[in-house]
This record gives sequence, structure tokens and C-alpha cells, in this order.
Amino acid sequence: MTPLDPAFFRLLRLNGAIAGAILIAAAFVVEAILGGRLGLPRGTLAAPAVLAALYLVVLSPARRYRAWGYEMGVEELHVRRGVWTRIYTIVPLGRVQHIDVSQGPLERSLGLSRLVLHTAGTLHSQVVLPGLWRETAEAMRDEIRGRIAPGEE
Amino acid sequence: MSAAIADRRLHPGTILLRFLKEAPGAVLAVPAGVAFASRGGFTRIFALVAVMTAVVVFSKWLAWRRFRYVVGASEIVVESGIFSRNRRTIPFDRVQDVDIERTFLARVFGLARVRIETGAGGRDEGLLDSVTLAEAQRLREIVRAFHAVAPQAEAAVETAPEGRLLYAMGVPRLLLFGLFSFSLMYIAGFFALLQTFDGLLPFDIYDPARWMGLIGDYLPERFTAAAIAIVLFLAVLLGLIAGVVRTAARDFGFRLVLEGGRFRREHGLFTRREAVIPRRRVQLAAVDTGPVRNAFGWSGLSFQTLGSGGERSGRQAAAPFAERDEVAAILAEAGAYRLPPPPELATVSRRHILRSLVGKLLPLAALILAGSLWRPQLLFLLLFLPLLAIGVAVERRFHRYALDGELLFVARGAWRQRLWLVPVANVQALSLSRGPLQRRLGLATLSVDTAGAPVVRAPRIVDLREADAEALAARISAYASGRKSGTER
Repeated sequence: MTPLDPAFFRLLRLNGAIAGAILIAAAFVVEAILGGRLGLPRGTLAAPAVLAALYLVVLSPARRYRAWGYEMGVEELHVRRGVWTRIYTIVPLGRVQHIDVSQGPLERSLGLSRLVLHTAGTLHSQVVLPGLWRETAEAMRDEIRGRIAPGEE
Repeated sequence: MSAAIADRRLHPGTILLRFLKEAPGAVLAVPAGVAFASRGGFTRIFALVAVMTAVVVFSKWLAWRRFRYVVGASEIVVESGIFSRNRRTIPFDRVQDVDIERTFLARVFGLARVRIETGAGGRDEGLLDSVTLAEAQRLREIVRAFHAVAPQAEAAVETAPEGRLLYAMGVPRLLLFGLFSFSLMYIAGFFALLQTFDGLLPFDIYDPARWMGLIGDYLPERFTAAAIAIVLFLAVLLGLIAGVVRTAARDFGFRLVLEGGRFRREHGLFTRREAVIPRRRVQLAAVDTGPVRNAFGWSGLSFQTLGSGGERSGRQAAAPFAERDEVAAILAEAGAYRLPPPPELATVSRRHILRSLVGKLLPLAALILAGSLWRPQLLFLLLFLPLLAIGVAVERRFHRYALDGELLFVARGAWRQRLWLVPVANVQALSLSRGPLQRRLGLATLSVDTAGAPVVRAPRIVDLREADAEALAARISAYASGRKSGTER
């Protein structure tokens, strides 16, 4: 399977860092307010928060990055994702209703795009493939656009 | 081909329109603003309102500025988003219809809201809010012109008006169906009723001391076995009557007629309901039954449809209470549907039992053990856990599947038995998921997604052996994307 763009790994790490920073800040604030009153030893909240943040920045991005993968077949797109629960989705390209290419602010700064395939289904009405180099995403969009079976309602 | 540059904007009046639309909501914030500004007096309130207005108008302006669209040769492209940019491509092939909506406010401005329907789950797929009426009509013309070129299969179908009766439910069958619709719910309802007339009864049914006493050897004189038997008998009788009445009101004179390419259904005693189910909108069929009903050969058939425009999306009853042959006959008329072939459907992996048990038994056992620290009597509950295990094993016997040609069969449920018949051509996407425990046991869950599916009860095959799951997914996707012909197995 094709891995996602390496820049996506940086994006995941960046997201992890932001989440970790928020977590640590929250832990320190809560500890500063409640710690003294409850007589907790210093670092009861902050230490686990720092560990969790380390996990989010050091370990988790690599695992999440490795979990993602895609394969553009002739008639279908295969997407693999998920660290704990692994999910493998197959979308027949003839079933695609419309296609989005979107970009958040962080993604834009790294030159990444997200490809979103919408089908008429309910459970997987959106199949999201993040972390694509912008040109790749657009090329895939055009390719899928060309494969959408004409004449079918 | 998607190189079309989105250069069209919505009508600038949109900014004002959206602002006016949200203004009434903002009025609610005024009391808070007044409270805040009460010390500053009138000028402060005025300044606050002005600032709020400016902020809202600016954000509307920004959204307007960032929203662009273009109609290309064979698709509509919409770009939107202030911070996150989104570029959506909607091919004309996928556009079911272009709706033009005009609210009163929009009419004042000479604007219209254009909704591009694609049948993708009925959400806001392509919404142009708002453009001038002329532009809206231009869009609709372009899309309709595109579709007019493609031959319409529908037109031929509509010219066969005379119908053929496929299924009708007579009064005896209706009564039988009503008896099967008996539910414990009615007994609960009966007791609720009893409570209302509490004073009229010689005993208090909600007196826990009485019930406790009953378990022990204390029996009040009036509270005899005969009295209990009568109450229970009445409850069951009432349950049966309620079931019959409810069923009769809903399904009296149920008829299913085939007219050209459409099923027409009518039913109801007090209010006659009529519904049309176009055959090509049917996404899958489901056959429902229960252990008792099944033993007598009865089941109910329903279709899952994809609605468009005014039509309803979702589950539509086709024959609520029918014999196997009748179900088969209706299915044959519906297109590529049939009941499963004689070779039995395959069961899922045996390890499914283990996984269900780990998921259900362990937390329950832990809960009981934790509870027993305070109340040792709770340990007796552990005796019921083997029952749960038996239940899980029985459920597995009823969870079966098969892929026969282009039709996928999935059966589930021991008490509420359902058999899904999914034509693979209608599968929108399929996914294999493996949780941590499933990975350890070598299992995978396969779910197929269809249009108009409910979120809760959708066809899923839980805990297949990994290799089987992958092979099945590969076969389904091969059919779904049209790589194989239908006759091949």
C-alpha cells in the first residue's frame, strides 16, 4: 500500500504537540488550584500529563502514520487506517457521488490536502484520505472524476 | 477536466440576507448585553450593538468572499471555507435534481437558494445560498439539458399503468398477525393502567412488602393463587387484544400492487395510507421473523429505499406478514432478489462466542464481584452468567452469511431474526475492521454500506475468520465495481 506523504507525519506530530501542550497546561492549572487544598503531592497530575504528552509527540504520530495507507486500484480506492481498531475501507469508484479536496490551516502550511469521497451510503458516506501532497490529491480527484460511471443515476 | 477555475461568487445580497436571517436570533443576546452595559447607559448599548453588527457582517462578508463556484463542462465545482479550504466537485451524472427554494426574504431581494441533490445521504451536498433567480434557473437548465441527452429509462416504465396484485392481507391473516404482535409491552401497559385504578382493587399491587411476603410464606387471605392467575390471564388477554387492535389499525386491507416499475402499497383502517416504491430505488430487502412465527412459516418483507425529492428514504414494508412463497414471489418481481439457496448459509467463526463473552461477561463479572464486597449475596448472580454464555452461543448459530452470485445474504438475531438481501451492485462502500481482541483471535468484521441504510441495524458480518473476511470483501468489491459479470460465481 502507498504510505501517505511524509509531511503528514509532521502534521500528526504537530497535532500531538498541540494536544500535549494543552493537556500539560490544563494539568498544571488544575494542580495549582486544587493540589494545595487536597494535599496532593506535587506532580500527581502533571507527571501523568507529561507522560501522556510524550506519548502523543514521540510514539503516537509514528504509529498513526504507519497505520494509514491507500491504494488506488483500477476500479476502487482502498484505504487503511486505525491504530487500535484497524479499518480497511474499499470504495468502488463508480459509487462516488462527489469529491472534496480540503485543506485546513495547518495542512496548508505543510502543503498537504485531504481527499474526501462522498458516497450515497450512510455508514461510510464520507471516506477521508488525509495527508496527501496537494498535487497528488488533485490528480487523484481528477482521476476518480474520470472514472465515475456515466449514465448511472 | 477539473481544471475549471471557480470564479463565480454568490450574489452580494447574500451577506445582507444572511445577516437579516440571523438578526432575530441575536435579539436574544440583547438582555445579556443590556445587563453588561447597564452602567454605561444608552451609548454603551448602542456601541455594543454596532460592534456586534460589524463583527457579524464582516464574518458574513468573509464567508461570501471565500465562497466560489463554477459550472464546468460536466461538473459543478464549489470552493468554500474561511480557514479550512474545501473544493468540492459534483459531477452532473450524480446530480439527481436542482431544487430552487425561495423564502419570503429571498423573494424580496430577488434571490433564490439552489440545492444540488445527489442522493448522498440527504445532507447539504451542494448549496448555493443565494444566487439570483436567473442564475438559479440557468444552473437548473444546464443540469437538465445534460440529463436530457442521456436516455431516460423511467419514461418507458411510466406508460404501464395497470397494476398486478402481488400481496393482499385478508382479515383472518390480519387477526393472526395481530396475535403474533403480542408484546410484553402491553402487559406493562396493563399494570400501568391498574395503577391508575389503584383504589378500585382489593390489594395494592405495588406494595413491595406484599410481593416479598409472597416469596416467603406470608399470604394474605385475599391474595390467593386464583387472584394472581386471573390478573395474569387478564394481562395476557389484554396484550393480545391490544396487539390485534394496533395491527388492524395499521395494516387493515394491506395491498401491494406492481405497476410497471413501481410497487404501490396501501394499508390502514382509519387512515388509508398509500405509498409508491419505485423498483429502481430499492437498495436492499430484509426478511424479518421470530422463532415462533418462523416455526409456522411466517415472515415479513421490507425494502430499504433511497428517497429523492419528496420520496421517503428508509425502510418500507412490502408484506408485513406473509408465507415464504409469497415473499419469494414479491422478491422475484423486485429485480435481482431471491431467498437464499438451499445450501445453508455459513456461520461466522466459533471464536465469535469467545469475543462476545469477553466483551459481555468480563465487565459483568467484575461488576458483580465488586458489588459482592458490600453485599455478599450478589455472588449468587454469578450463577446466571452461564446462561449468558448459552445465549451468546445461540446468537452465533443465527448469525450467518453467504455471497451467492451478486446477492449477499446476512442473517442475524435469534429472537428478532432478520435476513438481509443485499445486491452487491448497491454496495456503496465496504469496510473490514479489526479491534485489538479481534486481531488476537484472527477475526474481522465486514460491514457493507448501502444508500438509505439505518445507522443501527445495517447488514454487518461480525467476527469472520480473517482470511474469509478478506476473500469475501475482495469478491464483493469485484462485483460492486463491475469487474465481474453476474453469472460468474
